[in-house]
Order: sequence, then structure tokens, then C-alpha cells
Amino acid sequence: MSEVRQINKSKSAVPKIAILALAIVFAAGLFVVGFDQGHIFSLVYGEQAFVDLTIHELTHDMRHAAGFPCH
Amino acid sequence: MKTIVFISIVLISGALAGLVHGTVNFTIVEPYLDQAIGLENESLFASGEAEDTLEFWAEYESYRIWQKSGQVLAGVILGLAMGSLFGIVFALSRNSLPGKNDVSKSIILSGLMWLTLYLIPFLKYPANPPTVGDGETVVLRMILYVSFIIISGVGVVVFYKISKKLQNNKKYVAVVGYAGLMMIAFAVMPDNPDEITAPMNLVNEFRFVSVLGVSSFWVTVGIVLGLFWKKFDKTSKLEYS
Repeated sequence: MSEVRQINKSKSAVPKIAILALAIVFAAGLFVVGFDQGHIFSLVYGEQAFVDLTIHELTHDMRHAAGFPCH
Repeated sequence: MKTIVFISIVLISGALAGLVHGTVNFTIVEPYLDQAIGLENESLFASGEAEDTLEFWAEYESYRIWQKSGQVLAGVILGLAMGSLFGIVFALSRNSLPGKNDVSKSIILSGLMWLTLYLIPFLKYPANPPTVGDGETVVLRMILYVSFIIISGVGVVVFYKISKKLQNNKKYVAVVGYAGLMMIAFAVMPDNPDEITAPMNLVNEFRFVSVLGVSSFWVTVGIVLGLFWKKFDKTSKLEYS
């Protein structure tokens, strides 16, 4: 004869894979908006990326407005 | 809550709050940025580093359009980043946060993070419009700013944990300890090395609208993530054996 039991199981533990994924998004996004001076595009375009500053210029206005140091 | 749902609601709430932040900036901060860059151009003409020619203005217009068009996009990217941090902290601290439900807990945490990760560091290293920062000192300023934020953020966590270990849950110990730490940090950390040459009324007004913009992010992310969490979280479930 089968027995039915009710269990209240806590599911509040935060999955480590989710923490890792969000931590990567945090670090990458913060670097793009706050700190990139041509570093990301230099992986493709080399030294020219540090002259063009494509991402830096794209995020320039937000960088100032959000309080990040800028030139 | 399923992992994919957790990640999704965190990213969506961060992106939405970033969209609000970028839009607010586009509306109220851009006029001050234009004004500051105008002064920068006048300075370039006066010093002879640039000439007031059609070619100059054509190049200027092309990169200013690029910079302005990036305001909202950069807001979304920054929103995803800061929203991710907020989601991690909320998930880990939700059971310890004061508040009657997930929405109030989320709003309380966003207020706390706005205060400790933004406003207090802002008081030491306030935002500056273009024309103020020196390119030669940008790395030093980044190090100072990030260090101050880390000191503030880690300080809150450490003193909160200390207060939890004390008898009678003396939370005021955390507040006093954190305040002491930040006063020391204010006194010890070097000031921004750049001299402010722009008119102070422009700088102060820019700083004010900058605070409004960043605050719009923290208000939005607190409300939106709280609402999502309330809708999707099922912290207990029934099982049969």
C-alpha cells in the first residue's frame, strides 16, 4: 500500500552556475562601459583599435554621466 | 525557481533599468555634455590645437552623433552588468533583508546598493563633464574610484556579518563600523588629481542630473526585479514519495 507524505522542501539555494554566468555578464559589461580604451577591438584590429577608440566613443557619454573617470 | 528563469529575470530587469537610465541621460544629461564639449572646442581653438573650419565641424558632428547614439545602448549594457550584480546579491541576501515581501526587500537592497556603491563613492569622486578630465590621469582616477567602491561594498558586507555574530543582533554596530571605515577612506584616499577648469555652475548642474540618471537605474531595477521575483519564485513545493 503506497504512502503519501507532504514535504516542504526549501529551494532557496542559489545555483552556482547562475552566479558564475551573471558574474561574467557583470565583469564584461562593466569593462565595456567603464574601462575599455580600445582593448576589446585590439584583439581583432591590433594597435589601431587604441587610436580609433570605437567602444570608448560609443560609451563616452554614459561613462561621464554614470560617474566613471574619462578623459 | 529554475536557473534559467532566475538568470532571465535578472537580465531583463537590468536591461530595462538600463534602458530607463540611458533614456533619462539622453533627455537631461546630454545638454550639459554638449555644453562642456563646446567649451572644450573653444579651448582647442584658443590654444591653436584645432582650427575652426568646416572640416573640424564635419568630423566633430560625426563622432558626436556616434557618442550620443551610444548613450541608450551603453545604458542597457551597463544595466545588464549592474543588474547582474544586483541579482546575485539579492538572491544571496534575500532571506536576511528586511521587508514584508520580495518587492519591498528588492527596493530596500537597491537603495542600499545605490547608497554604498554609488552615492558615497560619488561624494569622494563626483562625476565630471568632458573638458574636466585629463587623459594622462585616467588610469589613476579609475584605480582610485574602483578602490573606493570596493572598500565601501566590502565594508558593508563585513560589518553586517560582524553585527550578525554579536548578541541581540546589534545592527547599529555595522552602521557605526561602516561609517568609521568610510570616514578613514575619505581622509586617506587621494583626491581627484585633475583641476576643474570648467565653470562650477556647469559642473554642479551636470553632477546633479548625473545623480538623477543613476538613481533612475537603481529605483527601476529594485522595483522590476522585486516584481519578477514575486511572480516567478516558488520557494517551496510539494513532493510525494
